[in-house]
This record gives sequence, C-alpha cells and structure tokens, in this order.
Amino acid sequence: MKKSVLLVAAALAVLLGGCVCPAQAPATGVPTSGPISVEDGVGNVITLESEAQRIISLAPNHTEILYALGLGDRVVGVTEYCNYPPEAAEKPKVGDFITIDLEQVVGLEPDLVLATTMHMAETVPALQERGIVVFVLDPQSVVAVLESIQKIGQLTGREDEAEALVADMQARIAAVQEKVQGAPRPKVFWELGPELFTAGPGSFVNDLITLAGGENVAADADSPWPQLSVEAIILKDPDVIVLADHNYGQTVEMVKERPGWEDIRAVREGNVIEIADDDIVSRPGPRLVEGLEFLARAFHPDLFE
Amino acid sequence: MERASDREDVQRRPRRRGLLLLAGLVAVMIVALLEVAWGSFSIPPATVAAMFWQRVTGGSTVGAWPDAWETVIFEIRLPRILLAMLVGAALAQSGAVYQGVFRNPLADPYLIGVSAGAGLGATIAIALGLPLHWEGLGAVSLFAFVGALAATAVIYVLARSGGRSSVVTLVLAGVAVGAFLSAVMTFLMFRARDAFRTVHVLGWMMGSFALASWAKVYLLAPVLAAGGGLLWAYAHRLNVLQLDDDQAQQLGVPVERTRLIVIGLATLVTSAAVSMSGVIGFVGLIVPHAVRLVWGPDHRFLLPMSVLCGAVFMVLADGLARTVLSPAELPVGVVTAFCGAPFFLYLLCRKRHVLAR
Repeated sequence: MKKSVLLVAAALAVLLGGCVCPAQAPATGVPTSGPISVEDGVGNVITLESEAQRIISLAPNHTEILYALGLGDRVVGVTEYCNYPPEAAEKPKVGDFITIDLEQVVGLEPDLVLATTMHMAETVPALQERGIVVFVLDPQSVVAVLESIQKIGQLTGREDEAEALVADMQARIAAVQEKVQGAPRPKVFWELGPELFTAGPGSFVNDLITLAGGENVAADADSPWPQLSVEAIILKDPDVIVLADHNYGQTVEMVKERPGWEDIRAVREGNVIEIADDDIVSRPGPRLVEGLEFLARAFHPDLFE
Repeated sequence: MERASDREDVQRRPRRRGLLLLAGLVAVMIVALLEVAWGSFSIPPATVAAMFWQRVTGGSTVGAWPDAWETVIFEIRLPRILLAMLVGAALAQSGAVYQGVFRNPLADPYLIGVSAGAGLGATIAIALGLPLHWEGLGAVSLFAFVGALAATAVIYVLARSGGRSSVVTLVLAGVAVGAFLSAVMTFLMFRARDAFRTVHVLGWMMGSFALASWAKVYLLAPVLAAGGGLLWAYAHRLNVLQLDDDQAQQLGVPVERTRLIVIGLATLVTSAAVSMSGVIGFVGLIVPHAVRLVWGPDHRFLLPMSVLCGAVFMVLADGLARTVLSPAELPVGVVTAFCGAPFFLYLLCRKRHVLAR
C-alpha cells in the first residue's frame, strides 16, 4: 500500500506543480457556426455543434493551452492545480485533478470538458452519461503536445492562434536540436521522488530528455513511470541527475549524503540539478519548450555560452 | 431456553419497537431530503423543493431553472443519496449478522474475505483496463462482486474441509485467505506501475459514492431487499445461535445449515454493496454495536434498526464527504471513521454497564 502511495506522489510530481513564466494570449477570432469533429487523444471522434464557448479544464496543462490561445474568458471551470496563468486560479474549481466533483461540472453547464486519461475510468463515462461532451488529451511526447494545441484550436475556432503557437514552439525546439546535434549525450537520471521513481519510455519526460540532448538511464525500463533501485542507478553511473523532486524537499546536499551516491559521476562532478520551477518540465503544455531550453543548457552548458 | 426477561421484553414491547422503527424510517426520509438540498453546487432549497413538486405534479415550469440543475438534483444527487442509503443499510445489517453468527464483537462484514476478494477483483479489472460494461455497471463492479463472493466461498469450503466448520476455523481461514489475496492485489498494483491505475485502485479501496447512478440503485435495491428481508426472517434463529452450538442444536436449530444460509445471505448483500461503492469501513462494525448498546441484542429488532441507522449514518457521512473539501471529495470511509468513532466511544462510556452484563 505504501509503495502505491509513493507511486501516486511521484505521478503527481510529474503531472502537477507550480510556475511563474509569461505567456502571450492573442485574443482574436470570430465565432463561426457549424459542427466541428475532432479526434481526441484516445481515438474517439468528438463532435461539437459549434465552437466551444463554455469550457472546463480538468488538468493544468489543458488550462495553460486554453489561456495561451486567448480563450481565458471561455474557461468556466478549472482544477485546484490550475495556477497558470495566475488569473486561471480565479476560475471556479471543479476538483483536485484526481477527484472531480460531478455536480460542479454539470452545474457550470459546460459545452466542452477537457480531460486526461486519468479521468477515463470514472469521470469521463459519468459525464458522458449526463450528456456532457468530453475530450480526452494526454500528450506523452513533445509532438503530441503540439497536436493537443492544434486540436484545442480546432474545437474553439482558434486554428490560426494554435498554428502560430505551434510554429513558435517548433522553431524553438529546432533551435535546441541544432545546438545539441552531434554533441555527446550525457546519461541523465530524472528523479521524481527519493524512492527513485523516474520517467521511462513512453513518457513525455523521456522525450524531453532526448530532445535536450541527453540519454535517459531509464530508457530501457518497462513502464512510463518506473521505480529504479539504488544499485541500478549506481551501475548506470549517470552524468547528470535532475532533481524534479526539489520542490518536494530533495536537495543536492541530501543526494551527496546518500550512501553510495558519492561515487556517481554526476555527484562527483557537481552535475546534480535542482529544478526549482518544476511546472515547465512536468506539464505537457505550451511551456514545455521552456523546460526543453532549460534542460539543454543544463546538459550542455558549453554549447550555450 | 430464552431467558424470562427477554421473553417479557418481546411480549411487552412490540408496539414500542414498532414505533421506534417507524421513527427510524422517518429519520431516513428527513435526512435524505435535507441532503438533496445540500451540495457543493449550490441550489436554493426552495428551488429544490419546487423542482420536486414539479416532478410530482407534472406541471410545466420551463425556464424556471437551468436544465443543468435538474441533472444535478435528479441525475447526480438523488441516485447518490439512495445508493449511500442502500450501502449503509446493507453494511450495518451484515455487520449485525456477522457479529451474531460469529458470536464475536469484532466481526464486521469484511471478516471473511469480502473486502480482500472485492479488492482483488477490482484491481484485476483496473489493471487489465477492461472495457466491459453491463447494464450500467463497469468491469470494476462486476469483478469486485464476483471476487467477493468467490473469496468467501473459498474460505467457507476450506474451513469446512476438516468436517464441521467452527467459527474459529472460519475466521482463521478468512484471515489467511485475506492476507493472500491482499498480497496478490498489492503485487498487481505494484507491477502495473501506472499512476492512473494506482490512483483508481486506491480510491476504490477507500470507498466513494461519487459515481452513483440510477443503474446502480436499480441493480442493488432488489438484491438488498431480498437478502435483507430473508436475513430478518432468520433473526430468531440468530438469537438461538448465541447459545453454544450443541444447545442451539438441541433447541431445534440446525446450526450448520443456518450458519451457511445466514453467512451466505450476508455475504451476498455485502458483496453487492461493496461492488457499487468500494470498501467502506467502520459502518458494519459500529452501527450494529451502537444499536445493541442502546436497544439491546434481540436480532428481531437489531437487524431492522441497524438497517435504518446504517442508512442515516452513511447518508450523513457521504454528505460531509462530498462537501467538506469541496470541490475535492473525501473518501467516505474517512468520514465514517472520523465521525463515527468518537460517537461510538461516547456510547461505550455511557453504557458500559450494558456490556459488563
């Protein structure tokens, strides 16, 4: 039971978090009528009568996308973790991300609810039974984040803004790629919790590490959010350790004091990185490129001088 | 033989007991009505009353309130309250029956395998991500129900294999099988290593009515009515079973068969309830004890009164669970223990002499 609690905590550390970075919100677009059909992230084609006008977001990354597309005034409900941009936190709360209050959602009369695969077992069918349109998105790669932005743009008649945002993100990703191309790839251990939960294949963090010019030591694990043993980490001898659990209390000093860790190259050479603002690497939303740029600098300080 | 005082009790006070049960029934209805008007999404109680009135009279009130309010009251809150009522009633009655049949004050409806079996069933369904649906029930409910029944059946057969089942072997077999199933469940959860599934299993094991629906109410109600009614019919035999097995046999109660039937019915009722709501602790242990402390141990009264008190208690607990941290929800099991335990301790101190007897 304890293990599972830790796993949940680790998952939350990945999926949630807090951050303060600026975002541009272009506010244009005249509502057009006519049905809109878009395939969601799990292969269901969702049809709206017309552009969504009353939107509830069940995840912080969806909220950030909506605001980045200038749709803040169409958002009628968010979760307690939706803290970016700051005005999103002023919206009515419909839940704490894992548990969603059905009567709040229904009572706010949304014409579109943006959910994640976390909600598919319970909340999604419960909402659909009550006639509410639910669109599931759970991007687990940087490309999938770009697709999410485009899909949300289609549902809301903000295709142009979505394309502009995606083009901007693609340009920044390409710039990073250009820099790190050909450079030796440091081995990276991404710590999600002191129990050594990490990001494995099939997670957007794994994608992020690769794009930033690193090599995830857990890339050969058997699940997206695996738990490694201390021995495995010492054996892998990572060049860089990223403390994505810094906000949960882990520090460079604490890592140095862990028995056996002083021999790991990252610890010896002082390449243990505390991530103070973990939202930019834990939310598969528009600010993921900021996380990517941060990581590329951390992995390749010499290339970014 | 029944003691003289007990007989007197029953003969002299049937009317008083009838009145008490009636009062309990009225309390259930009052609590239900209060809870319908109370929720995280605020709708004025007067409007809620008008909405009910409109349903009853069939009058037209188009535009008097948003359609969404209708959904909130009649598709979310009402089925939720009814489901909480049914599950609370089922757990309290099964608890009373288990305590009686095992002659053990620590017995609760999960004593012999229901929670472990249901938990494993639910975990398998969640870990496999089965897209199975039947009559408004998901794979999780179906697997939990089958798991609970199967676990109890296995325990019963194991405990009987040495000849006659004694309550002690049943309880011990229950502990061992329960531990085994829990280990399998933990293993599956650990291997799944998938945050979303783990959260789902954890949430399920803590119990919740957040996903109540009319389909669940319609499926559960007849099972509980039939099972609960039959158990009530066995109340007198449960009284006799309080004597030791030989004495009960001499009084003409077939101990082995009665035990099998009563445990079977209580398990069916509990499994059905648990499959709809997850594992909610404490209600099945404490409610029957509280009823016994206040009104005495006669099962003919204990069982129906536990049903009513369990229903009231669960509806109130769920009312807190869905509003205290709004919009987040507390697991209802947290509320049942947090509020129920102090109340029970209070009763215990006030009525210590009853237990000492």
